[in-house]
Amino acid sequence: MADTASIRPSRRSVLLASAFAAAAANAEAQTPARTPVRGGTMVMIVNPEPSTLATYAVSAGNIPPVTTQIYEGLLTYDWDLKPAPALAKSWEISEDAKTITFHLQEGVTFHNGQAFTSADVQYSFMEVAKKVNPNGPVILAELEAVETPDPMTAVFKLANPAPYLMMTLSANNIPVICKSVFEGTAPLNNPTANRPIGTGPFKFGEWNRGQYIRLDRNERYWKPGFPLLNRIIARFIPDAATRSAALETGEAHFAAYSAVNAADIRRMQANPILDSTTQGYAMTAATSVLEFNMRRPNLAKKEVRQAICYAIDRQFIVDNILYGFAKPAVGPLSSVFAGQGFFTDQVRRFDVPDRLDIANRLMDEAGFPRGPNGVRMSLFLEINSFGEQWLRQGEYLKQALAQIGINLTLRSEDTATWLRRCYTDYDFDINEPFYSAGADPVVGVHRHYVSSAIRRGTTFVNNKDYRSPVVDQLMDAATRELVPAARAALYHQAQQVMVEDCPGAWLCEVQYVSIFNKKLHDHTIGPLGAYQAFERAWLER
Amino acid sequence: MRRWRYFGYRLLFALPVVFGILVLNFFLIRLAPGDAASVLAGESGAASPEYTALLREKFGLDQPLAVQFFSYIGNALRFDLGYSFRNDAPVFELILARLGPTLLLMLTAFGSALAIGTLLGLLAAVARNTWRDAVISVMTLICYATPAFWLGLMLIVVFAVNLNWLPTSGFEDIGQGYEGWERVVDIGRHMVMPASALGLFYLALYTRVMRASMLEQTGMDYVVTARAKGQSEGRIMFGHMLRNAFLPVLTMAGVQAGNLIGGSVVVETVFGWPGIGTLAFNALQSRDLNLLLGIFFISACLVVVINLIVELLYVSLDPRIQT
Repeated sequence: MADTASIRPSRRSVLLASAFAAAAANAEAQTPARTPVRGGTMVMIVNPEPSTLATYAVSAGNIPPVTTQIYEGLLTYDWDLKPAPALAKSWEISEDAKTITFHLQEGVTFHNGQAFTSADVQYSFMEVAKKVNPNGPVILAELEAVETPDPMTAVFKLANPAPYLMMTLSANNIPVICKSVFEGTAPLNNPTANRPIGTGPFKFGEWNRGQYIRLDRNERYWKPGFPLLNRIIARFIPDAATRSAALETGEAHFAAYSAVNAADIRRMQANPILDSTTQGYAMTAATSVLEFNMRRPNLAKKEVRQAICYAIDRQFIVDNILYGFAKPAVGPLSSVFAGQGFFTDQVRRFDVPDRLDIANRLMDEAGFPRGPNGVRMSLFLEINSFGEQWLRQGEYLKQALAQIGINLTLRSEDTATWLRRCYTDYDFDINEPFYSAGADPVVGVHRHYVSSAIRRGTTFVNNKDYRSPVVDQLMDAATRELVPAARAALYHQAQQVMVEDCPGAWLCEVQYVSIFNKKLHDHTIGPLGAYQAFERAWLER
Repeated sequence: MRRWRYFGYRLLFALPVVFGILVLNFFLIRLAPGDAASVLAGESGAASPEYTALLREKFGLDQPLAVQFFSYIGNALRFDLGYSFRNDAPVFELILARLGPTLLLMLTAFGSALAIGTLLGLLAAVARNTWRDAVISVMTLICYATPAFWLGLMLIVVFAVNLNWLPTSGFEDIGQGYEGWERVVDIGRHMVMPASALGLFYLALYTRVMRASMLEQTGMDYVVTARAKGQSEGRIMFGHMLRNAFLPVLTMAGVQAGNLIGGSVVVETVFGWPGIGTLAFNALQSRDLNLLLGIFFISACLVVVINLIVELLYVSLDPRIQT
């Protein structure tokens, strides 16, 4: 890979002015680079501490910031979200899109000294990712075989075209592991699960539980001259206020995925040693939603669900609860898909001036007149346990729904109890989660709405009991459609149908923020942000 | 001799207690809904039912409860605490790694609270109803009423962020490779704030108890007798009263010694201290039952041991107790 001009992430002004501008546009607005220096130890905050580093079998969001330094994927992505070379230096896709030939980088070795070959690719995909990766059954559903005509060529054979596959081959989704280390063992019990061996720019050093993970420079990294840092320390600090303090004193240099409280971000932006960016989240955008349990007779009525959607002032949530680090959502697809043409805002809009009148009228039409105390119905809202802001949002929703005569009771439970209630027992009225859309709608969107994803006991799928033959058909077609414009048209139609049906209320597209020390440069070098190796990152002395 | 018989008797009595704790814990924590597999699968996004089943099988959660129970008891009796699948590490190893920092922090906080609290209580009692007593009383009241997490955060803001005297959090500087005394000083610097945040509450408590206890002793017959014998005030205080006045403080300290092992989730969380408290909290959150049971078991054993030590101390302070 050519050493392109160093990319320095946006300054505050960019954050505020163009939080949602295409990443590509931001990339050009960078300040000129200084000369990188080698050496130094970067301290990043990872929150919470990962439970395991077996990123090939567990896809929790706090693992990739560590493991993408160690493992690499076949591909990475450029600012335009186009596939870029990583362990595959080039590739060809056949006419019928059922054969993808990857030509691999030469001279790559694993941290244990083994040479990287196509056999490792085959093993990573067929034996590990397809079998134990939780996303494997979706991403690799069409992958039938990986052929290895020679050590530097891996040929993917697909049963059907899978346009989303090329978007999901980065290290955070499917890491390439060393066959000889895994062969003959159960991947979940492999001794290197927590002492990972990959091909990446940093080697696993040590894991001092409750404190830190140390990663050391891979002296034999295949990209000449990289990485620049000697070490990366991933520090774990459970308390949000202390995390902020560690950044403010310069003890830590980098914190991604909004590891500091939204309320603290403005203060940190005023700190002369710190800066922030909203770049590096284009492939992991999250949307907060409400899910309606359509098994409940009152929520089975479309009018009631639409009325709830009308009753919520999304801009209020953005401004007051998420401190501006979000934007109102209009439908099931996030606007991050606008670049690929999948997103549309030509759907039923709930942000109209007379929305409360409409909502109250809908409730009347549905047959829920106001009772003597103005209450039409009482519902429970399940608060997710992933951050205080979701409780605040619940408090707002209670107020908002009271305006249309719904008496909302908030229920907060710990994660295990909440998961069981909402995804196994289905004992909820309205659930309040937030979801990552993934790099492609097939990965992160379909499973919430297609009827085949109504699977009791499986978390974060269609728990709403939403069954729409039209949506099923459209999404099924979009899974295989290769022509981007045709695929976009399918998604536009699906969005219109879903927003009309309101199986959920789409609230806000959450904007994550990375806080970093100004001495740290070139940390966010692509759309994957902290899910991408810090090979070019360097520290000013 | 009699003292040791008493000790042996107490030890024998402790065994069924530990066993009872083992059994109770096992069934109690199974009352919590959800299991480790569902939490892990939940963190992984949309895991397939096959994946969750795979995890359950790996964790042994697919076994009947009776089988799980007997294998657990059998292992516990052999001091094999099992394996934490969530953390991919043996439970004993995980606990051992956290026990050191917890004991260090708690003993420091507790020890200094006990020493300084006793001293302050003594001072307050001697200077009863003077300005010194008033100052100590007001100070203890403030310390007693301040929540530890708030105190911790304020200490960080003042001493780490503004004054830059101390590190914000953690156990030691990572990657500096300190050895010997340098390392001791480094850990000490990291411990000042968490130990203060934790210890001030106990300090206040012991000061109050000691003061009250000393004042109670003042009117006792033996004090009057000693004074009538013409003994000096210093000798009366340190030779006679202190021993007796200290007993209530020791009782209280003995009861609270359980907290030593349990750690303080709040202080450990605020200061990123790698202790047992946060380990137990995370284990509960993630339904890591093996780890949780292991922590309970070790804590129970240590509490029993500490209670024995306290009772031994009792006996040395007041020989009348052993009968």
